[in-house]
Amino acid sequence: MPSRHNASDSKQNINRRNVIATIGAAGAASLAGCGGQSDGGDGGDGGDGGDGELFPLDVQLEVNADNSDRLQMVELIAESMEQTGYFNTTVETYEWNTYVGRVLDPEYQNNGYVPCIGLSGTFNPGSFCNALHHSDNVGQCCNLNGINDSELDDLMDSARYGVDVAADAELRGERYDEVWNYLADNRYSSITHFNLATSVSNTDLHGFEMWPFQEGMYSYNMFAPQDEQIMWVDRENTAGDSDLSDLSEGGTLSLAVGANIESFDPPHSTDTTSTLAQGFIFEGLTVNDAQGNVYPWLAESYELRDTNDIDRTAYADYMSTVGTTEEGATDTDEQVVVPHPDDNPAEDDEVRVLLPDDATEAIEDGTYGMQYRYNLQEGVEFHNGDELTAEDVVATFEYVENSDISAQTFDSLLAAVQVDEYTVDLYAQVADAEAERELPSPLILNATQIEEVEKGNIDPREGNTPIGTGPYEFSEFEDAQYYEVTKFDNYWTEQKGVSEAFSWFDGSSDFPDGPVLDGFEVEIVPDDSTRSGALQNGEIDSTYGINTSTLDDFDSSEEFLVYSVETGGYEYIQYPVNVAPFDDARLRQAINHLIPRERIVENVFSGYGRPAWTPIPQLAQGSGTADAEALEEELRPMNEYSVERAEELLEQVAADN
Amino acid sequence: MSLQRFILKRTLSIIPIMFGVSVITFGMFHLTPGDPVTQLVALNPDVTAAEEAALRERWGLSGPVWEQYLDWISNVLVGDFGQELQTGREVSDIVWTRLPETVALGLFGWAFALIIAIPAGVYAAVNKDQLGDTVSRFLALSGISIPNFWLGLMLILIFSLYLGLFPVLAPSRSSLISPEMLRYLILPGITIGTASAASIMRVMRTSMTEELNKEYVTAARAKGLPERTVILKHVLRNSLISVVTLAATLTASIVAGSVVVEVVFNWPGLGREFIDAINQREINVVMAITLFTGFFVILANLVADIVYAALDPRIRYD
Repeated sequence: MPSRHNASDSKQNINRRNVIATIGAAGAASLAGCGGQSDGGDGGDGGDGGDGELFPLDVQLEVNADNSDRLQMVELIAESMEQTGYFNTTVETYEWNTYVGRVLDPEYQNNGYVPCIGLSGTFNPGSFCNALHHSDNVGQCCNLNGINDSELDDLMDSARYGVDVAADAELRGERYDEVWNYLADNRYSSITHFNLATSVSNTDLHGFEMWPFQEGMYSYNMFAPQDEQIMWVDRENTAGDSDLSDLSEGGTLSLAVGANIESFDPPHSTDTTSTLAQGFIFEGLTVNDAQGNVYPWLAESYELRDTNDIDRTAYADYMSTVGTTEEGATDTDEQVVVPHPDDNPAEDDEVRVLLPDDATEAIEDGTYGMQYRYNLQEGVEFHNGDELTAEDVVATFEYVENSDISAQTFDSLLAAVQVDEYTVDLYAQVADAEAERELPSPLILNATQIEEVEKGNIDPREGNTPIGTGPYEFSEFEDAQYYEVTKFDNYWTEQKGVSEAFSWFDGSSDFPDGPVLDGFEVEIVPDDSTRSGALQNGEIDSTYGINTSTLDDFDSSEEFLVYSVETGGYEYIQYPVNVAPFDDARLRQAINHLIPRERIVENVFSGYGRPAWTPIPQLAQGSGTADAEALEEELRPMNEYSVERAEELLEQVAADN
Repeated sequence: MSLQRFILKRTLSIIPIMFGVSVITFGMFHLTPGDPVTQLVALNPDVTAAEEAALRERWGLSGPVWEQYLDWISNVLVGDFGQELQTGREVSDIVWTRLPETVALGLFGWAFALIIAIPAGVYAAVNKDQLGDTVSRFLALSGISIPNFWLGLMLILIFSLYLGLFPVLAPSRSSLISPEMLRYLILPGITIGTASAASIMRVMRTSMTEELNKEYVTAARAKGLPERTVILKHVLRNSLISVVTLAATLTASIVAGSVVVEVVFNWPGLGREFIDAINQREINVVMAITLFTGFFVILANLVADIVYAALDPRIRYD
């Protein structure tokens, strides 16, 4: 049970708090604001604070109303703060769009409010600190409270950028450990927990493992030699302890997803269901395993050829000067590869930017951060019969320009340059430890198709069948209703054999040469309860995104299996560090100690989450820390629920005021 | 006023009404915060403020509201409803592909309503204040009071999940005109038709009761006509006038009344598209569906008036 570790310190307080908090978790919002004073009085300690001018301090927590779990979580935190007698809390809720507009307003940081929001991170450890804390992200996602700490900026930058960390993963982990420690000391934000992703299947689906990113869960499971992972359908036997020797081929898996496919055009969509659909049809140059390690895929091999110690100002000589619009946008139709770090389109009439042609020029002069060389697999066939060559790769990267994924792609990429028919160089802007994972991330498209279609129209609704190299080819799509993919007969790993195709493969000889399922039928069903109904009724085999109360029913049924895994999704509150008294780190630390992380996970999320004892979840620990266990040991005491520790800190704050 | 002039006048009045509908919807849409850019990139840490601004400009969302409205309406007047911003698909294509699904469901629900309501109304009126009447009035009251979404969920729970008689998912692979569609249509059709059935039944009962008290009925009975003939041939025909008008008005719900039901039953029609578009802040789609629905409602009312006149020549328009 949560919070038992505190029980020995102050038994009577804890018991009452547990009771109240549990009621609060059941949805009694009205409790917030009624227990504080009396508790402060009989607790004795809180009384001191109450006498001072600062305490009880009025704190407004803010949250989007449509997420009832998150709202309950904030109410729990508010209640926990009230209980000390040091705070008078109010919880304000907003409709989602209002909320986003409100918290992203650069003025928001001056209001002194405590916003709560959720983000999702990736294998890149930076995704668990940069968005929230880097001064570059003030006024945009998601440094909501104007944290501007150049020491922290430098720490975070030095963990990702620079020749030293790019070459030395161990050093990189150490640098990130510094970041996490710095964040724990300064406590600009409090990450409460990491979400678990769940999916439910009937027992016909064998060999399934959850993957930390929902959008990749089915394409990962269909064939992942990097983790020796493969799923199959066997309608005779019941899934559970089956292993590779039980594998049976063929069959069609029918799934239900929660939203329409925005587009089958990989760079022109970022939503989960589109990415999930594209995962059957397209492949990338590399793949990741569940730890985030990179393996060559469409590239037979890759190597880092060169690293230069430069920063982005080194491109100034190659940059073009373009105007800006009234709205503060850069006025050009071309992709901005690198904006000059010293120019600001919101304020200046003209800004310097590196455009794609400028980037090529810089590379010719030897100005680039890193050079990765990718040697493509030979004999890889697209669904239209074309063979994959370097031309397809280069055309893909051009196609990514000014697309929905251009921001993340050109966060690290400088340019893609063809070397010969089967060789491509990808250049990074600066020495970048994430480059190995980030540079090859776009899915590879077919050059002929790119030439034929209008940009963004690789979609059946536009009359174009998406063409990739993946194991399944597009077969049917009815807008907002369903789509089907069927096995591609000439899939290249099956032609070559898995151990021939991947020199790194050292798994069992039983492991098949490609996916074994004949196809997928995917129904589009936005309503959660309809999806779970369809699963119960036997109309589909597997789905995801079912709410936690229904999950428990599935979990207790013998006909269904519930899979879960910790993801990169996290929720947090952010302190208004520029507004007194929140400029005092001790106050922020005190509130952090009042966040009942275990109770939040147990009561609000029914156990489908993990308390954030450190700011990075499992999936980012590979490159985000030198020693995950040591880090947790160090940081956990600073994140544990402790009224005593909080009151100690608050008394110090009160005394100084 | 002649019928022709009446129709002409009513048809012309569509123009100011549609204009009003478009202004109000457009305005309300902009009163609520957020746009597709907020939806798409606002919480993406990789996207800079400058990139967001550029996207807004590209999608024509950066000017003041009246300017955006003028842009929009000048395109609509030449028949261009614009594109869905995030995907670039033509809005008119979206509406036309979704429309048949909605109409099929609406028609089924409408037919269901009539088939249930008219006999029930006749029965209730003939057996006025007896047990059968009380029961059917109670059912009608329930039908009007029960919210659509609740009824839909209950039907799914009982008939699909417990009894396994009907599929939970909407038809994705069957064509709209095929025998197996019936299995898919029944539950959502009943859900959509229930409220209409209830109101039609009540009107049927009232007007039938009124007619039954008239002198010609007494005369017919006195003449020695069998009760069956009196009811079905004389009374029913006369009391149908108000029901036909109501039923014509209710055809509007074939297009307009299905938003909730489509979401509950995962029905791929206009209503679900409408909800998706609102969530995605896709103004062009929302505007197009609103205008289309508005147009259909006006049209249904017009048809109701004309039918009314055709059935009862004593009715004059002025």
